[in-house]
Amino acid sequence: MIAAPDLRVDLGDLPLRNPVMPASGCFGPELGDLIDINRLGAMVTKTVFAEPRSGNRAHRLAETYAGMLNSVGIPSRGARAFIAELLPRYRNWSPPLIVSIGGLTVGAYLEIAERLTRVAGIAAFEVNVSCPNLEAGGLEIGAEPQVVEAVVRGVKERVEVPVFVKLTPNVTSIAAIARAAETGGASAITAVNALMGMAVDWRTRRPRTGTAMAGFTGPAIKPVALRCVWQAAQAVAIPVIGVGGIATVDDVLEFILAGATAVQIGSATFTRPDTMVRIIAALEARLSDEGVVSVRELIGALRTDSPSATVPMQAG
Amino acid sequence: MDHGPVTSEYLRLGLHAPAIADLAQPGQFVMLTVARDADTAPVLPRPMAIFRWERRTGRIEIVYRVVGEGTHRLSQWSVGQVIVTVGPLGRGFVIPSGTRRIVLLGRGIGTCSLTALAAVAAAQGVDVRALLSARHADALVGGDACRASGAREVREVVDNDGSSDIGLVGAWLKERRALGVDQIYVCGSGRLLDLATATGVSVQVSLEAHMACGIGYCHGCASGHPGLGEESPLVCRDGPVFQLPAV
Repeated sequence: MIAAPDLRVDLGDLPLRNPVMPASGCFGPELGDLIDINRLGAMVTKTVFAEPRSGNRAHRLAETYAGMLNSVGIPSRGARAFIAELLPRYRNWSPPLIVSIGGLTVGAYLEIAERLTRVAGIAAFEVNVSCPNLEAGGLEIGAEPQVVEAVVRGVKERVEVPVFVKLTPNVTSIAAIARAAETGGASAITAVNALMGMAVDWRTRRPRTGTAMAGFTGPAIKPVALRCVWQAAQAVAIPVIGVGGIATVDDVLEFILAGATAVQIGSATFTRPDTMVRIIAALEARLSDEGVVSVRELIGALRTDSPSATVPMQAG
Repeated sequence: MDHGPVTSEYLRLGLHAPAIADLAQPGQFVMLTVARDADTAPVLPRPMAIFRWERRTGRIEIVYRVVGEGTHRLSQWSVGQVIVTVGPLGRGFVIPSGTRRIVLLGRGIGTCSLTALAAVAAAQGVDVRALLSARHADALVGGDACRASGAREVREVVDNDGSSDIGLVGAWLKERRALGVDQIYVCGSGRLLDLATATGVSVQVSLEAHMACGIGYCHGCASGHPGLGEESPLVCRDGPVFQLPAV
């Protein structure tokens, strides 16, 4: 009898029973009606802001070739409603809860961190730095290494659980931003958030989403996300959580080889609500077939030494 | 179970979905994953009104028109394949107790969410009057279903003979209003909605929106504005049917 492969991974001080979790914004307690959330490696909330805010005007979604655009705009019910109404619903499940937090100024990140510190039931924070910085003309918070470092350090000083940072890919050097996050005290890097994209309906002469620019996600962005994970993993010693276009178990293995310790599933949950649980089952079967004892053996195990750069696993 | 054209405009998809047929209420919808087998695209499933269902056989029926990539792909599904279908979703139409007479106003494919309402209301002894509007005869759908389910009156009007003229429809509605109408149900047309709200009768309207999750966590189907203190209602979870108060 061969033992089942070990799917456990550690994100710094946070142990996960398996490396598969949802991407922020693509998950909520509502999914509990459709899938067994207890199967997941972790749960990740939609980004919480200190104060309530609405999202953007319609249309907020547009489909693209093998992908989608969203201009949802991160609506949030604010810290008070999150603690009183949303957080208790997540207590129905056992996987650790990672709370995504956001702000439009450096100070706003510190405020939400203060309001959620020592709130029971939060295993880690994921700082969403893909928000427009109102103090810097709307440039993304996550585009400036010094700003990222300051935000992470400030949040880290105010909370007692691990702090992760979700990077935006819309930057010149993902490595520089990853290092800034690490210097600020991050326990892990999540790479990457949506690419900025756009879709136009030439017949109506309008953009297809209410805001002209929108977040581009789905299988179409996988090569970019994989490259970002690779670069971030080369740049820092802390774990990297890979996200961007992952829809199959093969995608998961590719991200892990490129350096991801865990992965997040976003748009693919829209395509099929049971994508995460199917991937977890397939991952166990695939590793078992390949004789891999622990998924940890594969983290960053991408071989780039030989000209053919072959990977010691069979496709299929 | 079955899949094919109803008219030159519309296709009908019959699915064996007993769990959905068991729970469905008029005005609810399903999310259909149009990506096949292991395909990972198209990424977004398509929200579709449940045209009718039968608890005994577990069959649900979707009527749709090919308008883009998703519905084109859907049209290529054949009998015997398994399509990921999530539902029934959303808040459907409500027939308040004591309702005696209702008017249904549907336009084009929007009629599809009203047919089941006609059946349920007629079965409760409610006097159902339906006006179904479309560009031309082949774009009309649901008239036969409404008649078969016992609607007292089904008027079908089209653009190409002028019968769908908003003045004529308004006059028709006014006559029905004079008989005493408890609720007006609208789907598929802003102009029909305007006529309905102008009567002063309580109106329920079914709205359409682009959707990703269909169950409320993605917020892709709301229509808020930046700067609002609160997120606006979600079409998938708070709707698709919204009650407008009587004036």
